[in-house]
Amino acid sequence: MSCTPQTAMVGDELPHLSFGPITRSTLALYAGASGDHNPIHIDSDYATKIGLDDVIVHGMLSMAQFGRLVSNWAGTANLINLSSRFTAMTPVGATLTCQGTITERFTKDAALLLRVRLSASIEDGTETLKGSALIRVP
Amino acid sequence: MGVFNRNVTGHVSVPIAVTLERGALIFFAETIGETNPVHFDILSARAAGYPDILAPPTYAAVVGSQADHAARRQGHGLTSTLDLINADYRHVLHGMESYDYHSSFFAGDQVTVTTEIKGFSDVKGGKLEIAHISQKIKHPERGLLVEISRDIIHQLDRSALP
Repeated sequence: MSCTPQTAMVGDELPHLSFGPITRSTLALYAGASGDHNPIHIDSDYATKIGLDDVIVHGMLSMAQFGRLVSNWAGTANLINLSSRFTAMTPVGATLTCQGTITERFTKDAALLLRVRLSASIEDGTETLKGSALIRVP
Repeated sequence: MGVFNRNVTGHVSVPIAVTLERGALIFFAETIGETNPVHFDILSARAAGYPDILAPPTYAAVVGSQADHAARRQGHGLTSTLDLINADYRHVLHGMESYDYHSSFFAGDQVTVTTEIKGFSDVKGGKLEIAHISQKIKHPERGLLVEISRDIIHQLDRSALP
């Protein structure tokens, strides 16, 4: 009963996407793949020195899951905007669950558009990212 | 008072050339757990009608970061954005990231990146200061591909964490 961009109405949900557990290896690989070498994500000695319990997950690795969720549902070429706020730190070892909910379906300049509210949370229920996407219905 | 260097408000970098490398794109797609082969398999990408490996949406941030790294390597008074605004790496957090997409982008694309320091703001009674940064990724034929908007938060008081 999962919806498509053509059939989606306000309130409908995209298929959930799960990512993790996010290990130290994943963070090391993401640092290399993204060019974000901030030691707060890969060096636990550094993390504890600046007062954290351990390394934390790159915000952009979590946002990449929003990208996967919406682009594989609607097609990358139909994505007009993707936005995210990083609302809580994600600890190493966490598993993310990403959800998308249709909040608007409207026409602008003869194009049919969908706005999707995005949310990522970890096992204890903490919401780590709040986002949105604007999609063109092909 | 904050520690960001606010004198750079309005600064626009020179265009920095970046080539989207196929191997780097595949490595990124595999690392983020991408399952759609158009993002990591050249034959699948071509079969889907794309000229080369299709970049995942948030790869825009990587292109922007590569421009930053390139600027620092080139010298000539160029520097990374975080150095330009005098970010203290121990206390910076990523607050917000947004992409306006005008065209898809692919392995092999040779693009230019310009970075603009849009301004600074203070929140939570000065416990947090925010730098607002924009990056434009342009292609010589396809024009503006992506515009990135980014908030970098400087946490002056750890108790003010969001």
